[in-house]
Amino acid sequence: MTYATHEGAKRHGSLLTVDAKTKTRNAAETRFRIYGIIAILAGLSFLVILAFSIIRSGLPAFSANMVEVELTLTPEQYADAEAQLFKTRAYEQVFNAAFTSELQERGLDTEFDAESIQRIIGNTGATLRSFYRANEDMLGQPVTFNLPTASRVDGYFKGRLLRENVTDSRFLTLADLDLADELKEAGLIQSKFNWTFITGKDSSVDNPGGAGIGASVVGSFAMMLVVLFLSLPIGVAASIYLEEFAPKNRWTDLIEVNISNLAAVPSIVFGILGLAAFIQFAHLPQSAPLVGGLVLTLMTLPTIIISTRASLKSVPPSIRDAALGVGASKMQAVFHHVLPLAMPGILTGTIIGLAQALGETAPLLLIGMVGFVAREYPGGLASAFMDPNSAMPAQIYTWAARSDDAFYEKAWGGIIILMVFLLAMNILAIILRRRFERRW
Amino acid sequence: MYDAPTPGSKVDQTDIKITAKKVQVYYGDTHAIKDVDVDIVDRAVTAFIGPSGCGKSTFLRCLNRMNDTIDVCRVEGEIKIDGEDIYDRRIDPVQLRAKVGMVFQKPNPFPKSIYDNVAYGPKIHGMVRNKAELDELVETALRGAALWDEVKDRLQSPGTGLSGGQQQRLCIARAVATQPEVLLMDEPCSALDPIATAQVEDLIETLKEQFSVVIVTHSMQQAARISQKTAFFHLGNLVEYDDTNTIFTNPSDSRTESYITGRIG
Repeated sequence: MTYATHEGAKRHGSLLTVDAKTKTRNAAETRFRIYGIIAILAGLSFLVILAFSIIRSGLPAFSANMVEVELTLTPEQYADAEAQLFKTRAYEQVFNAAFTSELQERGLDTEFDAESIQRIIGNTGATLRSFYRANEDMLGQPVTFNLPTASRVDGYFKGRLLRENVTDSRFLTLADLDLADELKEAGLIQSKFNWTFITGKDSSVDNPGGAGIGASVVGSFAMMLVVLFLSLPIGVAASIYLEEFAPKNRWTDLIEVNISNLAAVPSIVFGILGLAAFIQFAHLPQSAPLVGGLVLTLMTLPTIIISTRASLKSVPPSIRDAALGVGASKMQAVFHHVLPLAMPGILTGTIIGLAQALGETAPLLLIGMVGFVAREYPGGLASAFMDPNSAMPAQIYTWAARSDDAFYEKAWGGIIILMVFLLAMNILAIILRRRFERRW
Repeated sequence: MYDAPTPGSKVDQTDIKITAKKVQVYYGDTHAIKDVDVDIVDRAVTAFIGPSGCGKSTFLRCLNRMNDTIDVCRVEGEIKIDGEDIYDRRIDPVQLRAKVGMVFQKPNPFPKSIYDNVAYGPKIHGMVRNKAELDELVETALRGAALWDEVKDRLQSPGTGLSGGQQQRLCIARAVATQPEVLLMDEPCSALDPIATAQVEDLIETLKEQFSVVIVTHSMQQAARISQKTAFFHLGNLVEYDDTNTIFTNPSDSRTESYITGRIG
């Protein structure tokens, strides 16, 4: 055998110089990396814009401009007011007196008329009367009232309503705004955290200040309980059967394809199915969280089944062999060994399915949860499921559809609350995942 | 049913534990095992050798019906253990697998503690009445797998944290703990280094006093070292089955000779 000559064997140039082929290859890789970075930056910037606009538009919903007035109503004044023909009018006079003294205390001697006050703070008499009728024991003691300003005045302070757009009307005059400015400067009108928005119920169309998301949070929570307790066991049982026990034949293939397709069915289709099956056929109550939960269960099941099957599939078959090899039955192998290993994946899938269901509006449209005004909290456990209520996304939709700008602000605020819940659920998913993950 | 073989009882080396007659295995349309007849001796090591894909592992998995888990797999013919046809309709594969234990190619301990790995089999078969008995059984099994001294101080630590060789011995302990009568080993040393292999081989040497051991191996040296009987498989056929000495020194089939001398496979 002859060896190639030195020149013949040297088929490659110096490794220190980069040849043309390598150069194009490296350039292609660099370009690809840059595309990737651009894509990520674009995604991130959209996210930032989204978060920024939500927070900017939604944050005002969490504050309200309030008037704080301390007053004492004696039992005599109470009896006197209750004896009059126009009772709220009598209370209003009491309030105005207290308000005047409050003004003087702060060294303000502005002239104001009672009607102007009423346009700024609303019907003070009615508020006072309903408070004292409910709390007669507070008579004779000093009570601090935090009265929300009318939504137009509130909007004026928040920059929603501009002075140049105001024309004198029976709702608001420019003189009212001058007075409001003075009160604000004197510290009588203060911006405070709006607890009503968190804990309150929905209000009528003309009272955006009193609207809160609390009742619909309860509605959403009831729905999520229904979804969790139905879709988790049904979904996991179905996946275990399909993945571990079912024979692989044409029928199971058909079922598999259909489950995948169900996951892609528009949610409004589930809504109309729920309307037909649960309300029209089974005669369950309209607008009830129970029905909402059932519809969302139908929608969530495919998601849970698909993710559960994926996580069952990812458990190495050697674990099944090991269990069967020591004489475990199929079911023991699955429940003792496979399922615990698949648990993190199952839980993550379930929580993501729930989060998806939490934000779903379209199916609720058809079962009457959108447009229902959730004026009351449910009275008890059964009522929380069976009585008409709204849900967070439905409430947001309802608010956004109302004409008053103040409700638009509430809708953004509602989005923030919804996002907080979604964030909390995702954090829970991560925590559970960490906790159940195989520790070795 | 789960009685351990009584130690010390005199059993003739030629006692037949498993008889297979005209066994055919199909994977869908593929005829993987053709007409295999074999008698496996009790309390001895039987080695299955042959090139990759010759069907030796497939045949081994027929002996405890692990092939049942593969949908497309079909077994025909007759396999009898102690005179009972294990493919009879009345046979429950779960009971069968308690009687015929198995150790796999890759160590596959459960992701649980060492103790729980060994205790799992006895627990599900209800072999013990209380914790003390279970502790004893776990110790016996770990001693039987020559692992006790290495792990006795860390029984609660994860089984997957052991070295490869230790893991495989843990799997042997797990198989032994259910007190089977036959122990099937599917290339138990293929993932181990030479030292761990030597340990497992020593272990097999002692295991054969209590069990009928059937081992699939790629290493002819290993088959020669540890087995009394050797079966050579080729392309789904059982080419030759005889005493290990005969197979390695005086094979009657030319294919066997080619294989053991390294000309095929």
